[in-house]
Amino acid sequence: MFELLFTDYTTQIVVVGSAMIGAVTGMLGCFAYLRKQSLAGDVVSHATLLGIVVAFWLNWLVTGSGSKSLVVIIPGAIIAGLASLLLTRLITTTTRIKPDAGLGVMLAIFFGSGLLMLRWVQRAQPPISGSAGLENYLFGMAAAMTITDLWMIGLLGGSALLTLLLCWTQLKVLTFDAEFARSLGLPAHRIETLLLALFVVSIVIGLQIVGVILMIAMLVAPAAAARQWTQKLGPMVWIAGGIGSVTAAIGALVSANQNHLPTGPVIVLLSTIVVGGSVLFAPARGILWRQKHVS
Amino acid sequence: MSLEQWALLIALTTSVLCALCGCLLMVKKQAMVSEGLSHAVLPGLVIAFLILRDYSSPWLILGAGLSGLVMIWLSSLIEKTRLVDPDAALGLVFSAMFSFGIVIVSLNLRNTHFHADCIIDGNLALAPLDRLKWGGRDWGPTSFYVVLLMLTLVSGFIALCYKELKLMLFDESMAWQFELRPKLLHLAWLCLVSFTIVVAFEVAGSILIVALMIAPPTAAYLHADRLSHLLAGSVLVALVSTLGGFYWAKSLDIAPTGPIASCAGLVFLLMLCFAPKRGLLSYWWKRQQMRQTVLQSLVLTHIANQTLGELMELSRKSLESSVIRPQQLNQLLAQLAQQGLAINQQDQWELTAQGQQTLTQNQQRLGLEA
Repeated sequence: MFELLFTDYTTQIVVVGSAMIGAVTGMLGCFAYLRKQSLAGDVVSHATLLGIVVAFWLNWLVTGSGSKSLVVIIPGAIIAGLASLLLTRLITTTTRIKPDAGLGVMLAIFFGSGLLMLRWVQRAQPPISGSAGLENYLFGMAAAMTITDLWMIGLLGGSALLTLLLCWTQLKVLTFDAEFARSLGLPAHRIETLLLALFVVSIVIGLQIVGVILMIAMLVAPAAAARQWTQKLGPMVWIAGGIGSVTAAIGALVSANQNHLPTGPVIVLLSTIVVGGSVLFAPARGILWRQKHVS
Repeated sequence: MSLEQWALLIALTTSVLCALCGCLLMVKKQAMVSEGLSHAVLPGLVIAFLILRDYSSPWLILGAGLSGLVMIWLSSLIEKTRLVDPDAALGLVFSAMFSFGIVIVSLNLRNTHFHADCIIDGNLALAPLDRLKWGGRDWGPTSFYVVLLMLTLVSGFIALCYKELKLMLFDESMAWQFELRPKLLHLAWLCLVSFTIVVAFEVAGSILIVALMIAPPTAAYLHADRLSHLLAGSVLVALVSTLGGFYWAKSLDIAPTGPIASCAGLVFLLMLCFAPKRGLLSYWWKRQQMRQTVLQSLVLTHIANQTLGELMELSRKSLESSVIRPQQLNQLLAQLAQQGLAINQQDQWELTAQGQQTLTQNQQRLGLEA
């Protein structure tokens, strides 16, 4: 399995791309985890299916050829993801519907219509070329990655991480204590929007390899594992990035060598094992440590 | 009955069943638990099938239902350690279990009933083919009777424990005081939900059960004020959206899961906009009314205190930030004069008796001191 890593060009692209994606989603996922937005992440990632299919279809209408290039897909996914978040916010602030029910309804609206569009596009007469691979976005297919996709992911992920670096202090304050941030006179509303945008971007980047259904684990698992090992945000982000990139790369390698095995589930299982290990063995917090020292 | 009619009947019964389950979950603020359960039943289903190799075995349902309960147990176990945020714990457990199921399916069962499309779309088209034959007669599809049995169980449970459920949902500490054991009741309820999800798997697949469970009650919640109205309303919404979605899917020639969920979403959006008491339109209208009342009272108060000149000055000076623009103020004054609440005597505004009365009424309505 590993000799392919050194000889096969496609495998190299897939592994490097997955590692990059894993690092970015792991790092940005820390904020989603700390802000308790895990389930919102689940809904946003399901919602992007509608954006992906509509973007594909519109592009086909305009250019006449079906393209699954990330340049086409990603803007659609971002718009759909943001729309689902903002609509949830509108519903929960203006009516008495509770946040979790609001999220459930968003899932029905966006994923339901996304699935409808997906099946309809795949059934279209005359057939739309390239529509057959669209369902790879459901469970992820890292093997389908191309060099253009790699550039797109690098660009988007790089700018997200740069933003993170530049606004580090503000993002940190808002994440841990929004009231304090407001009392400092920080433009809380603008930083909040920035965090939302980063949140959606981190989800959209990961879709290629884990797919819309399991994206939540990719976002949250590295953060939950990293949280066990440290009490500080800086190290947590680095550790989560590391865990994310390693699990994603190994998962992509396994799935690229095994036909018909989608990448997403493999990565999710790997990172769940890491979380389990961290919860058990982490020093100072882990269950085993506690049993040994606190009794 | 034709196969299509049977399929529609199965879909309708399933959606009613899901809507009933969803009502209580939504009120208990556990809507996303149904999302978790619907993913988590997959490994149980798949493992039971691997052992038995029989689609119609009742053990499949048992295995899947148990695997849903395992998810609830695992996530509450993680929650208890307080090492992981509860939302994240739920998300991690269900996605890991679902992944496990998918990996088994793609390694061992690729060419069977369980390939990835069925997990997502459900398999309503095939559901009516498996017939219940008893005493030499064909009684119809087995899955219809399975869903019907589940529906009887769930509605029986709701009917029997209606008072207890109500207390558990709305005032848990009181339920404790009456020694009604709300925790046990809740667990029993989650068992029923878990098995409902397994039974509904055939119609809705694994992902969109949330749509069937949560969208109808949430739509009904925008109007209903009592638990009984909520239950009735969500059953109605479920029936309408399933009927619409079924025929929509037929006209597009695709699996009905996506269309049914979209229809439920559509009904919700309609309710969100136009619900008479709590829709966005009525919300906007109420705010507009309130704004009008506040402005009217403001002007009336200034007239009563003979400080109208100051208000005019203020409104002219600070164009952007003032409460009321000069033009608006003039309009409002003209309106007041027309309604006979204030009169203009030689450039001096005064309240009429009726105006005084309106002001007092407004102040009471807004909760201000007279």
